[in-house]
Amino acid sequence: MSEQIDQAIARKYEAGFISDIESDTLPPGLSEDVIRHISAMKEEPEWMLEWRLRAFELWKKMPEPDWAHIGYDLIDYQSISYYSAPKSMKDKPQSLAEVDPELLRTYEKLGIPLHEQEMLAGVAVDAVFDSVSVVTTFRAKLEEAGVIFCPISEAIKKYPELVKKYLGTVVPRADNFFAALNSAVFTDGSFVYIPKGVRSPMELSTYFRINELNTGQFERTLIIAEEGSYVSYLEGCTAPQRDENQLHAAVVELVALDDAEIKYSTVQNWYPGDENGKGGIYNFVTKRGICEKNAKISWTQVETGSAVTWKYPSCILKGDNSVGEFYSVALTRGMQQADTGTKMIHLGKNTKSTIISKGISAGRSSNAYRGLVRMGPNADGARNFTECDSLLIGDQCGAHTFPYIESSNPSAIVEHEATTSKVSDDQLFLCKQRGMDAEKAVSLIVNGFCKEVFKELPMEFAVEAGKLLEISLEGSVG
Amino acid sequence: MLSIKNLHANVEDQNILKGLNLEVGPGEVHAIMGPNGAGKSTLGYVLSGRDGYEATAGNIDFSGTNLLDLEVEERAQAGLFLAFQYPVEIPGVSNMEFMKESVNVIRKARGEEPLSAAEFLKKAKAAAKQVNLPLDFLKRGVNEGFSGGEKKRNEIMQMILLEPKLCILDESDSGLDVDALQVVANGVNSQRDGKRSFIIITHYQRLLDYIKPDFVHILADGKVAKSGGPELAKEVEKTGYAWLEKAGEKAE
Amino acid sequence: MSQSWLAQAIARASAVNDWLQPQRKESLALLATQEWPGRRTEAWRYTSLHAFDKLALTSASGDVKQHDAPAVAGLNSLDIVLVDGELQTAIEALQLPNGVRVSSFSNADAQAQEVAHAVFAKVKPAKHLFGLLNDTLAQQGIIIDIAAGAEVQQPIRIVNYVTAGVESHNRILVRLGAGAKAAIIEHGANLSGSDAAAFNTAFAEYLIGDKAQLEHYRLALHGGKVIHIGGSHFQLHNEARLNSTLVGYGSQISRIDADIHHAGEHAFAKFNNIYLLAPSEHFDLHSSIEHAVPNGTTEQNARGIVGDKAVAVFNGRIHIHRYAQKTLAELNNRNLLLTRGARVNTKPELEIYADDVQCAHGATVAEINEEALYYLRSRGLSASQAKVMLSFGFIQELITQMPNHSLADWLLPILHERFVAMEAE
Repeated sequence: MSEQIDQAIARKYEAGFISDIESDTLPPGLSEDVIRHISAMKEEPEWMLEWRLRAFELWKKMPEPDWAHIGYDLIDYQSISYYSAPKSMKDKPQSLAEVDPELLRTYEKLGIPLHEQEMLAGVAVDAVFDSVSVVTTFRAKLEEAGVIFCPISEAIKKYPELVKKYLGTVVPRADNFFAALNSAVFTDGSFVYIPKGVRSPMELSTYFRINELNTGQFERTLIIAEEGSYVSYLEGCTAPQRDENQLHAAVVELVALDDAEIKYSTVQNWYPGDENGKGGIYNFVTKRGICEKNAKISWTQVETGSAVTWKYPSCILKGDNSVGEFYSVALTRGMQQADTGTKMIHLGKNTKSTIISKGISAGRSSNAYRGLVRMGPNADGARNFTECDSLLIGDQCGAHTFPYIESSNPSAIVEHEATTSKVSDDQLFLCKQRGMDAEKAVSLIVNGFCKEVFKELPMEFAVEAGKLLEISLEGSVG
Repeated sequence: MLSIKNLHANVEDQNILKGLNLEVGPGEVHAIMGPNGAGKSTLGYVLSGRDGYEATAGNIDFSGTNLLDLEVEERAQAGLFLAFQYPVEIPGVSNMEFMKESVNVIRKARGEEPLSAAEFLKKAKAAAKQVNLPLDFLKRGVNEGFSGGEKKRNEIMQMILLEPKLCILDESDSGLDVDALQVVANGVNSQRDGKRSFIIITHYQRLLDYIKPDFVHILADGKVAKSGGPELAKEVEKTGYAWLEKAGEKAE
Repeated sequence: MSQSWLAQAIARASAVNDWLQPQRKESLALLATQEWPGRRTEAWRYTSLHAFDKLALTSASGDVKQHDAPAVAGLNSLDIVLVDGELQTAIEALQLPNGVRVSSFSNADAQAQEVAHAVFAKVKPAKHLFGLLNDTLAQQGIIIDIAAGAEVQQPIRIVNYVTAGVESHNRILVRLGAGAKAAIIEHGANLSGSDAAAFNTAFAEYLIGDKAQLEHYRLALHGGKVIHIGGSHFQLHNEARLNSTLVGYGSQISRIDADIHHAGEHAFAKFNNIYLLAPSEHFDLHSSIEHAVPNGTTEQNARGIVGDKAVAVFNGRIHIHRYAQKTLAELNNRNLLLTRGARVNTKPELEIYADDVQCAHGATVAEINEEALYYLRSRGLSASQAKVMLSFGFIQELITQMPNHSLADWLLPILHERFVAMEAE
């Protein structure tokens, strides 16, 4: 039975990977010409093109990283198409009836409203959704507060000075292989600007960002919080998303100026591949924020999807008294591989960071926490507290912890703790004795295990994340 | 010996002591009682000079020197001893090594010769015996893995070894059973020599059945609300501290 | 680059020819495939080997001066002394306790050779580059065979002296038969003073049989300009017990790899590490605890104090293999930096492939506990006195856990003196 389900899932996604060559889709391959083409399609100014070309030069000289605890078939970067225009209406499913029933079942379980299901499944209705009044109201409210929230392609044209000033300052083009690739070929993403002293009147969600669908492959996000401002940003959603591209290499840059606070929450649930690990998204993400004086950046992530996750949302605590936080739940099952964690770079005095990482491994998956805490020579009185807990479900999976701690300040305090446990027979017995089946019991225990992270998520997200774990764990218990 | 005048003290910017006055003469035993939060432990910490316990006004004279001018260790060397309510555990540093070091710096401050290893060991053994601690406690890390009662007895043992002028006992009776209470009290009583003074901070009257105070002070809201003889402690035992609120109301 | 140093070492190794030739050949073949470690080599991430670029050393001359083993009151050990890898002790003349056979590579009889073949490069993983070098270059080594059931009271100490300007490689191979009990001390020291360079590799392998018990010490007390690279490697069989203490100074480069491999079930290992780094010293400890079978237990405690401009590197890995269920493994690393110029890089690692296990690690880099400092000061100790007492107490705790009290009593004042000198800098 479960095999049939898996087959169904696999079939659905297989279809997704075949793309017809349309007139405005570039043939596979990466070259200067391709980058010029992308830039031209986006009607970008010259400086942007130059910036991309320089990134491409850098990328060509860089080796693909191999230090993470993941294994995957080498990616042929010349076989990928780096630009495809949004699908025309006629190529999309015309209604939910054409969408895989298994996907719909998941949506139902997550309680996703019909029109959202249509959007997520890529049904040809976005024009309709576009006009939904909630979005209009949303935009009006933001404008009133002076908050800019738009596709980055639009920002490059409308706010070139802001983009020029900050793009690539937190994640330089040469930072790493995937960041360089992204810098050369990114097609879209979000741009957020919160003016001085403004508290964003609502949580900003990619969900409301009206831009082309299917731009997820090389996303680029830049968030600037001016002095004393606050913004909470939500990325992704709990529902499994259709995506045509196997390789994802996003870059997210956060700039929190003096006294500003940015809260960035992610739920990632891309296609994880079939039970043998075939297909599935490769998710190589570079996320980093810089904190000036008294600023705070908080990363919260719930990672359940992708065949391979390579992701280390980080904070550079440059300003005195700045604060960095990282709360993470990473769940792997089947043949999924995750190597994720954070870097907290303490430069300023009295900087503080907290890292709470919860890894759950099931099936034949591999789940690694990799983190760096660095106390610079001037980070007087800096503090870090790290807690990494792993939960194993079954004896075929792996759970790993690789924390790097580097300190060169005698008054800085670093504390790191890691534990490994399993869902104990006693816990299971108790739940069963109280009438729960094994699956419900495990889901309950896992949710308890993740509680510290879930409480950091915006409320509605937290509820969904709990449900998401429950669904993800189905079939994991013997 | 100790003269506290109009002492105001802050803890984390909060005003805890609000004009406290206290005179302790040589050989006297003063009991400080009062409800939770009255500032009893704060008084002990301010006297010993703990970081974060800041005297904002008033002065404290200790045998002719201004106590507030001294560092923590200088106060100890001048003869002030605080028996902690919650003594900290220090693994790796043996009790013996710690006490030997401490006894000798204090002796040096008094202008006395340091004790030889043998002399010290003899004294330490006698002191341990007096407070009923097995000798192997001398070799163990300071307070490491000690029970609550053992920690309190270890404090009294240190007091005996250091021969201070003024002993402040911060709730040395809390969490003790009757036997342990008696050991602590006997330890204190053995040190009463007509010159050495004591401040006994306690919430209950119980300890005062074993250590007879000369004076009893009731501390409330950072001040001495009432002073008297031993009979005051008995009164508190019967009536509790509720009357303080009434008294406070009247005063306002 | 120092790849050339490696090539030249390989050329030298090719000339070595003795009864260990079959094993040496295998290591030589592996060595030829190795790259010289650089910054990107994970195992050498924080330890640079640039010093090899201009390393000009000779081999031992053969007429090195006789040196006595360091005197340790009450230790009463059976001492074997090596100076720059050359044996100084007449092994044939040693009064050996019952059940103990001691041989050297140069006088090994058939039985000793059999022990060596069973242990040499069998316990030490092939991943250690300098271990492979030692396989091929160590011309002298000590082979110790403890008969099954023998309970040896007298500790056996192998003293490894290094002197200025000399390159040396030495090896220890130990087999404990079933139910045997022994205590072995690897005692490294520097005769060349603080300013002269020397390069020494010292690797030891211990095969600990069923129910056998090994009490082990490695004292890597070189300091100065010595480049000391070595390892102690243990394989534990059913119900074997290991209690090992490693005490290290830093030096120009001091790098030790320790592997504890649980090959039999219900084995127990306790592994304490202490490092005390004087100004500008470098110390790097990589440990790897391999639980390959179920029901093993390991407790590791590593503590270090790092002086000015010194660098401490600690990499402690716990690897629980698939099916190694019911494993208990804990690792704790604590560090104290004395000054702004001191540095520590620590990386405790867990790699776990079995679900029914209890594994944890912790690492801290911290200042002295404020409350404890206040407590000591309230008893009259000055702030600096209290700091010395607390900092030293931090490592003293592990020294006093050493089962051999004579050795602990000898070490404490030596370490204390070193610490006080560090503090004074």
